[in-house]
Amino acid sequence: MSWQKPLLIILLFYFFALLQSSFLAHFSLFGTIPNLVFTLFFLLVFFIKKNENYQAVFFAFIAGIFLDIFSYAYMGPSIIFLLIIGFLLKKTQFLLKNREDNYPFVYFLPLFLAYFIVYQVLLMVYLRFFDLSHTLISFDLRFIAGIVYNLIFASMFYSIYKKWAKSIG
Amino acid sequence: MNSFKNFSVKQKGKNWLKLLIGAVALLFFLAILNFFVSSVKNYFYALSSPIQKTFWSAGESSSSFFSSFLKAGSLLEENENLKTENQKLFSQVAFLQSVEQGNQAQSEFSASCQNNGFKFVMAGVVGLDDNDMLSINKGSADGISEGMPVINQQNVLFGKVFKVYKNFSQIILISNKSSVINVKIMQTDSSNPEIDGVVKGSGGSSAYLDLIPIDKDINFQDVLVTSAIEKYFPKDLLVGKITQKEKDDQKPFQEASIQLFFDIKTADNLFVITNFKQAD
Repeated sequence: MSWQKPLLIILLFYFFALLQSSFLAHFSLFGTIPNLVFTLFFLLVFFIKKNENYQAVFFAFIAGIFLDIFSYAYMGPSIIFLLIIGFLLKKTQFLLKNREDNYPFVYFLPLFLAYFIVYQVLLMVYLRFFDLSHTLISFDLRFIAGIVYNLIFASMFYSIYKKWAKSIG
Repeated sequence: MNSFKNFSVKQKGKNWLKLLIGAVALLFFLAILNFFVSSVKNYFYALSSPIQKTFWSAGESSSSFFSSFLKAGSLLEENENLKTENQKLFSQVAFLQSVEQGNQAQSEFSASCQNNGFKFVMAGVVGLDDNDMLSINKGSADGISEGMPVINQQNVLFGKVFKVYKNFSQIILISNKSSVINVKIMQTDSSNPEIDGVVKGSGGSSAYLDLIPIDKDINFQDVLVTSAIEKYFPKDLLVGKITQKEKDDQKPFQEASIQLFFDIKTADNLFVITNFKQAD
């Protein structure tokens, strides 16, 4: 990676963190706000080439820091959860290869769904047992609405990234 | 063949060692980071606050613009409901005007006792997260500390200060799932005695009313205000109104769906009560 790319990625994560905590708060669906930082992290890790898996650590670190800074929790949980998710995602992709296109939408969406649920559950467990607020764990309509809302944004991000990648060849 | 196997085992062992060293280094880094968490977060919020405030305002205007399109179909129905509600309110106003004259002196005295004693710090809203936590751009440097009640200019309760940093604070809304507050139900028929209950947060800017004795009669549109027995908030702050009763004779208490009065989307500025003494 040249130095411009990491800088651009850091700025993009920062911009998305600000956007989701302020602008998108007005567009909540059943009280849920799309997690743009997680979506961007997932997208970037999903499209990492096979011999550049180390980049997932950098993405997890930056995304995790911004998620933790703009939350009321301690620093660290999101970084650790994203590292785990990044590692598992690359492992899953490795097992799923055998197609002409290594990054098809039919892989992207189900994987995003699965790992977003994993992230949400890990976060809920952490907040329930290790944080002062004792947020309750619940799988209600709000939880489902949050998943659907994030899937919409993930699909949008995917098609934008694909178009961008195509345009630059 | 054996030497190849040995090499493979050694390589795996090295990878595990690298992973272990990486994990320890990460935990060490996070421990240090958490030691300076207040300064780190405060620095980021101070840096981001102007941008966040701009985004917040932009989101507010965009949301109103789009909702005017989305709600166009239901405007007629809403208008009819408002007309009916208005008529009810007119009859109540007539009744209250007669009561008002007699109680004016007493009301003014109560109001001054309730409000004049309080000192406020006005703060701008800059962010909201998924867990019903609001960020404001004032902190310990402005005299804010944890547990202080947060209201708007209409005395509508939003929540209390959860965490304080030097230049910003995080507010736990009354809709947060861990929030429970004592309320009293102000019935539309003022001759009925007040009823006590608790409002429990259910997340997503919503809450419900619980622990109302089964023999008490509550009504649609009854207003909820904070109770005098509430530990963390001054009494008579507006909380919400009843939208639906859920009575089950098998249970000792009845529940009700409520609509909270606070509206995050239009909350630009809030007031933190800095001198309310919490009960021990």
